[in-house]
Amino acid sequence: MKNIIRRAYVLFVGTVIFINLPSTVRAYTLQDKVDNCFVCHQENEMLPEGFSENDIHFTSGIGCVGCHGGSAIEEDEEIAMSSKFGFIGVPDKKDIPATCGKCHSDIEFMRQYRPRIATDQVSQYFESVHGKKLKQGDNKVADCTSCHSAHSILPVDDPRSSVYPLNLPETCNHCHGNSDLMYTYKLKSNQYEEYSKSVHGVALLEHRDISAPACNDCHGNHGATPPGIQSISHVCGTCHVNNQQYFEKSNLSTIFSEAGFHGCEECHGYHSIPKPSDDMLGVGEKSVCIKCHDSGDVGYDAALSWGGKLNELRTIHEHAAEVLAEVVKKGMNDVDIDFALKDVNQSLIQLRTFVHTFDSKLIVEKADEGIVLANNALELADKEIEEYYNRRIGFGFATLAFVILAFGVYLKIRKSSNVKHES
Amino acid sequence: MKQDRRGFLNTLLGIGGIGAIASIIYPVFEFLLPPESREPTVSSIKAGAIDQYEVNSAKILKFGREPVILIRKDSGEFSAFSATCTHLDCIVQYRQDTKQILCACHNGHYDLKGRNVSGPPPKPLTEFKVSVINNEITISTMEG
Repeated sequence: MKNIIRRAYVLFVGTVIFINLPSTVRAYTLQDKVDNCFVCHQENEMLPEGFSENDIHFTSGIGCVGCHGGSAIEEDEEIAMSSKFGFIGVPDKKDIPATCGKCHSDIEFMRQYRPRIATDQVSQYFESVHGKKLKQGDNKVADCTSCHSAHSILPVDDPRSSVYPLNLPETCNHCHGNSDLMYTYKLKSNQYEEYSKSVHGVALLEHRDISAPACNDCHGNHGATPPGIQSISHVCGTCHVNNQQYFEKSNLSTIFSEAGFHGCEECHGYHSIPKPSDDMLGVGEKSVCIKCHDSGDVGYDAALSWGGKLNELRTIHEHAAEVLAEVVKKGMNDVDIDFALKDVNQSLIQLRTFVHTFDSKLIVEKADEGIVLANNALELADKEIEEYYNRRIGFGFATLAFVILAFGVYLKIRKSSNVKHES
Repeated sequence: MKQDRRGFLNTLLGIGGIGAIASIIYPVFEFLLPPESREPTVSSIKAGAIDQYEVNSAKILKFGREPVILIRKDSGEFSAFSATCTHLDCIVQYRQDTKQILCACHNGHYDLKGRNVSGPPPKPLTEFKVSVINNEITISTMEG
């Protein structure tokens, strides 16, 4: 009898909730039947921590049973959560990738929802450091839910998602910023702090530029692993194509490789990559060349020469830009100078990339090309400024001529009037 | 003495008069023969005759103070875009082999609709309107 009353109560409550649910929430129900897991857990305030009705599975009609097994239709909780219906409860940490993989590795199934979605996440995961350690029985490493959450999973392109580019560094930092946890793996825990001050971190986190790389762009996401010596310049080269290609062909690349140096990282750093400046080249205080090269060696001399050339081009470009500003201020024709300066700016940008060839001939040639263009621009600007002063002088002469004329006319009139009076 | 004063006065009048006339004539003369300068804002330019452009080629032209790349595609049609890369303002060029617009500074690529397709450019190139009237090409802003 008790059982009948209980069933009637669940059915009544379920129907009332179902009728009142918004359409988006109703969508999760299976074949328009009430999901009794949700009904009971909500009624008893036992919804899991972090549960969100915006969860992509929930809104796509995949209820609790999709991961936990059991039956969403059965009203009796003991029957619903019985092994008869494959109820597994909370999956063991080691089983989470396989639980997600039941659907996410099944292309036929996933195609129904997102035809272009990848289905190799689980196999990639087990190639990652996280996955390998999980296989070895380490229960502290990240599994799928560590990054995606368990009950509030949102698509990667949803700005609220824990794996949306703007949120990803913070998500990784949940574990990688935990110094106690990282200590057990002999890893640093200040990557987020370093990254957030880097040129990439500032672009992403401060300027909200989602084209800037987050953690996964260098480390991978499901197959996350630190880039190795051989691959680091390829990783940087996915965005910095020219720099990577120039460096790969350079003599320095071979020397770095033989010495076991990490290509780009040796000069630019990694998590805390600062915005590159021209001072990195040369032999000044901020030079990265002098970390390895001492006064007197070939590399030192080359750094001195290249730094000097880069500095020369930048200085003449800045000077030409100042002269252009003066031309504009004087109201003269600045169009051609502006065009010429665009070419100088291009040479300067290209020179900064050419530096990665570590080829003196190419670097000096490119710098000299820019310097010639800058001198041409300056010549044009000088002509305009000269023309401006010529016009002023001309205007001065014209004014003087009018003053003399006026004075002469005045004297003439006065003289005529005096003659009249005398006669 | 009187003669001197008259002479001085006439000289003064002469200089003043000639100067004043020159001050009037010179600007008129300069107006009739203006220096090579461009109008401050340009809404269209003439780009010459069709025959000047080979198929699968491009040319950088000055559109006021902005460089514009005029491309003649394989189909013979013309397209024009701002030639300033949206990344760091380098001047783009046309790649005949891949039929794309390339910015050589950082290897940015745009397709023949001006859309940024690879590399660092953050947004597409601004498109210009190309009209061909009596074999003469005119490039104008989309607003006209």
